[in-house]
Amino acid sequence: MTTPDETATTSTAFRSARAMFGRWLETDWFPWVVRITSLLIFFGIWEYFGRQQETSLFFVPVTSVISALWDLALTSEFWNAYRETLVPFVYGWLLALVVGIGFGLIIGRFQPAFQLSTPYLTFLNALPVSTLVPVAVILFGIGYSSRVLIVFLFAVVEIILNTAAGVRYASRDLIEMARSFKATEWRLFRKVILPDSLPGIMAGVRIGTGRAVVGMVVVEILLVAVGVGLLILRYRARFQSANLYAMVFSLAVFGVVLLTIARLVERRVTRWKVVMEETK
Amino acid sequence: MIEIKGISRTFQTREGEFEALDDVSFEVRDNEFFSILGPSGCGKTTLLKIVAGLVKPSAGSVLVDGHEVAGPGEDRAMVFQHFVLLPWADVLTNAGFGLEMRGVPRRESRESARPYLDQVGLTRFASHYPHELSGGMQQRVGLARALAVNPDILLMDEPFGALDAQTRQLMQEDLTTLWDKEKKTVIFVTHSMDEAAYLSDRVLVMDTHPGRVKEMIDIPLERPRKPSVRQSPVFTDLTTRMWHLLRGMVGESDEVAPE
Repeated sequence: MTTPDETATTSTAFRSARAMFGRWLETDWFPWVVRITSLLIFFGIWEYFGRQQETSLFFVPVTSVISALWDLALTSEFWNAYRETLVPFVYGWLLALVVGIGFGLIIGRFQPAFQLSTPYLTFLNALPVSTLVPVAVILFGIGYSSRVLIVFLFAVVEIILNTAAGVRYASRDLIEMARSFKATEWRLFRKVILPDSLPGIMAGVRIGTGRAVVGMVVVEILLVAVGVGLLILRYRARFQSANLYAMVFSLAVFGVVLLTIARLVERRVTRWKVVMEETK
Repeated sequence: MIEIKGISRTFQTREGEFEALDDVSFEVRDNEFFSILGPSGCGKTTLLKIVAGLVKPSAGSVLVDGHEVAGPGEDRAMVFQHFVLLPWADVLTNAGFGLEMRGVPRRESRESARPYLDQVGLTRFASHYPHELSGGMQQRVGLARALAVNPDILLMDEPFGALDAQTRQLMQEDLTTLWDKEKKTVIFVTHSMDEAAYLSDRVLVMDTHPGRVKEMIDIPLERPRKPSVRQSPVFTDLTTRMWHLLRGMVGESDEVAPE
């Protein structure tokens, strides 16, 4: 039996401990502590199993991967490969952004254009874009142009669809308000519909960027062995597993960096929305 | 003068045709504060949007000073029930947005809107964003935006309907004061009898399903109106009369606030 007094003290202690933990949860750095701890545990398990293997032919401990990546990063071969890979990537990606946003705005605004292009977009969206790689090569050969095309095709559909959705779901009330003030179509579009659909457009840019990275690697591994893809295929053929893992790892780092930039731009451009939701 | 002549409006719904307005005719005089009172669903907002030129009538026409309304015009400006401010723009830009939509560059629109922001008492909040303001303040921005285009006619669609009771009363008082200074023609849509009686020169009571003119009530209360007028016998008689006109419809439709 506890006296009422003791119960009171334990519950107070419990409550203050909980309050302390609650405050901790709300700090800015707490999510980072969770992320980093989780990564360290993941790498720890990876390292442990890596060392259990009799041979490092198939499964390589994380420390070997990182040291292999370090060694690779000191070679010109590594950087040349990335340069070779990135040139068509940048062209395809930029083209996808320009065409995707432009086309998305048009079909989002004009219903007939939307109806007309929906079957093609649905088709492209349902089709695994990888299957278009051989087609692109037949049409454009194995040069830059077909690689640009594949990166473009990987990214553009998501950008079009997200942009169009952003435009189509622009606030009816805001549009009506602008019309009540005798807005011209162009002013309505530029000052109401465009800013209101920015969150959709930016979501398309972010998703499309991720897809462009996929396209960039897929084309090099599936068909045109150049750049980073060539290195990956070569290390696999020569059973240089640590280097193979290191290349994959470097691609992941590249993707994360690019997506982080895209997310920062997105947050910057749609800051009013973020602030609004936080105050709700 | 605004002439509403035989306005009907039907909407296509999944259940078939819905008749929102049926042969509505009346006139609004220059510099008159005119209210349209009715339960929700009586088509009063549709009627206001027809006058604004945002909705086309199925039959009939609206004449402003003898000219038929074919769309939104520079002589009219609207205030919306749910404020409808740009969430990404600050208060001053929002107040100048009506001008901006009419082709005035943003910088000039903002400058021109300043005195109107002052009129609604929001000068201090010029650089705030809408979500940082209370509902009452947001509607003041909506009012400043409409006043800034200097319209002859102000169309107000249940502008205080989304506000709490106290804010609502304060806004009503401020609106009469504002109207006393510069008597614009106002068409004010509401479902509050108290509000209609307090603000208006005349009140049109509407019948519902379909929306029709039920009765026109003159409000003989003297101006400028003070809040105490609500306690006068004349005021009580007027709201009682409105209540008797409306109570039959309450069962069929939803809310009419007796207040």
